[in-house]
Amino acid sequence: MKNFLAKIPEQVKRLSVLLVILVIVFIVVRSTLIPNDFGKIGHYRASAVQNIANNELHYAGQEVCVDCHDDIVAIKTKGYHKNLSCEVCHGPSIKHTESPDEFKPQIQRNRSFCPTCHEYLPSRPTGFPQIVSASHNPRKICVSCHNPHNPVPPVTPKGCEACHAEIAATKSLSFHSEIPCTKCHVANEKHKLSPRDNLPTKPTTREFCGQCHAEDANSPKDIPRINMATHEPRYVCWQCHYPHLPEAQ
Amino acid sequence: MEELVQHLTPILKEITGYIFPNEVELHWGILIVLYPYLTGLVAGAFILASLVKVFNVKELQPTYRIAMLTALAFLIVAPLPLLGHLGHPEKSYEIFLTPNTTSAMAMFGFVYAWYLMAVLLLEIWFDYRRDIILWASKEKGIKKWIHKIVSLFSKDISEKAIHFDKKSVKIVTIIGIPSAFLLHGYVGFIFGSIKANPWWSSVLMPIVFLFSAIVSGIALVLIIYMVVTPLRSKPIQMDCLDKLASYLFYVMIIDFSLEALDFIHRIYESEESIKILSELVSGKLFVSLVVIQLLMGMLIPLASIAATKIFKAPSELKKMVYFIAAILVEIGIFTTRWNIVIGGQLFSKSLRGLTVYKMTFFGLEGFLAAIGILILPFIILFILMKLLPPWEEARNP
Repeated sequence: MKNFLAKIPEQVKRLSVLLVILVIVFIVVRSTLIPNDFGKIGHYRASAVQNIANNELHYAGQEVCVDCHDDIVAIKTKGYHKNLSCEVCHGPSIKHTESPDEFKPQIQRNRSFCPTCHEYLPSRPTGFPQIVSASHNPRKICVSCHNPHNPVPPVTPKGCEACHAEIAATKSLSFHSEIPCTKCHVANEKHKLSPRDNLPTKPTTREFCGQCHAEDANSPKDIPRINMATHEPRYVCWQCHYPHLPEAQ
Repeated sequence: MEELVQHLTPILKEITGYIFPNEVELHWGILIVLYPYLTGLVAGAFILASLVKVFNVKELQPTYRIAMLTALAFLIVAPLPLLGHLGHPEKSYEIFLTPNTTSAMAMFGFVYAWYLMAVLLLEIWFDYRRDIILWASKEKGIKKWIHKIVSLFSKDISEKAIHFDKKSVKIVTIIGIPSAFLLHGYVGFIFGSIKANPWWSSVLMPIVFLFSAIVSGIALVLIIYMVVTPLRSKPIQMDCLDKLASYLFYVMIIDFSLEALDFIHRIYESEESIKILSELVSGKLFVSLVVIQLLMGMLIPLASIAATKIFKAPSELKKMVYFIAAILVEIGIFTTRWNIVIGGQLFSKSLRGLTVYKMTFFGLEGFLAAIGILILPFIILFILMKLLPPWEEARNP
């Protein structure tokens, strides 16, 4: 045994001692610093769940609101805001449930609040009610015309531009400005009341545009013409041309 | 809120096309550009050093120890940009205590630790051991003790022990080459494995990263050698310099071919992202990708080194050309990292719009912090060179 130890080079002995020290330090540090409950339910401290649960509550939750305000909740659950929780608009209100008179939840009277969701943004789904707040009754606060618990337009919109203002504005600049929306879209009268349940139609055939743009169409001479047989026959027109601004690239 | 609006307003003006709201501001900034750049320099410098020990390139002997110390100095700094970016550096040790094996990023800690402890420090220790013992025996005061501790109080400088050192250096280097490949290939893997990002997602990414790393490492050692040697009033060895430039030239050709291959592959594949990527390359990345990375950082250095070989330029001219070429290469590789990290975040996942990166000047993620992190390895290298002089004449005190 002594012979064997003597044969090991000095460097290896010293490095081994260093390695052993490092391993011991690592094991000691690991065993002292890792919390006992680490990894019990996942890659984290199990008691972290309790710590988070112990945080102070701010939101009461809609179920609590129903207890006193069942009349309002009844209206809201039938309207378009049925999926919004009360505290989305009224702010965190657990204190209101504890002392209703002392603490009053917020009521949004600011014109900047509703546009958080309803300002016009191209990434919002079509048909989602959107306004350009700078031009939409700029001096009035939202709640003076709209009931947020049952948000519908105060009057049934007369024309398409009431909801589709951005498209209307774009179209008014284009060669198609004189064409009424209903020439291409057939909209049921019910679309004005419940838009998403009664979607308007879109042209589905090439021949529809061909009524004006085919070579043999009976339309004014200055309208651009195409040969319906050879001009990209595999596509419907609006796959390449944006009908609300056809001159755009 | 006000501050946020003020910060976002100038960016919003420069957005083109359509992007999602969470893509307006870049999440990975200049510090994340620095991180692959620094690790690349480490891997490159180490692979250069390994040429001497494993492949027996005698001409490069004067740069062997410089390259090892350079790799160490840069490796010490390499995690700092990550710590600065993530915040809470005091918690960083936790990734070692409770390793998360499903996270590629968390595993970097182990790749890094392996490379630092099992490769770099070990190789430097074996290579320097005899000299440190000799230095310690002739020194006084604090330096003696530093050297004694660094040598682990080793005393054996018999023929047999020195032979064992040499053999160990060779073995560690052989382990070190795949480790260096792992270290930097890993950094490429982090980007290449992000399948949602067409600019990053490529199996070639680790290999391209690796070769650009070797390019930058060789260029860095060349610069350091050319700056330090005259400062010590010693002559620059032309055969060493020529060899360095040759290796730089060959590796750059491989790097260039790989990047060209990647480029051609993308164009031929023409996936749905090709339109926005070509818009990116011809627009927001034109200066940093085409002008700086490709022209200044690749073609001009390649052409100038080739010209010195073809026209058999005189030594003084060669030195100047090599030096300028190496600096251009360093700038070029930095913009390579920039184009990958920043470029990959400039286009929207909708593939329909581009945003812009605004670097702040002050602050933890700003320009000033980045400059500080870039200078720090040179300060560490200076201290290392004082403690462990890498010069030939220091070997026999």
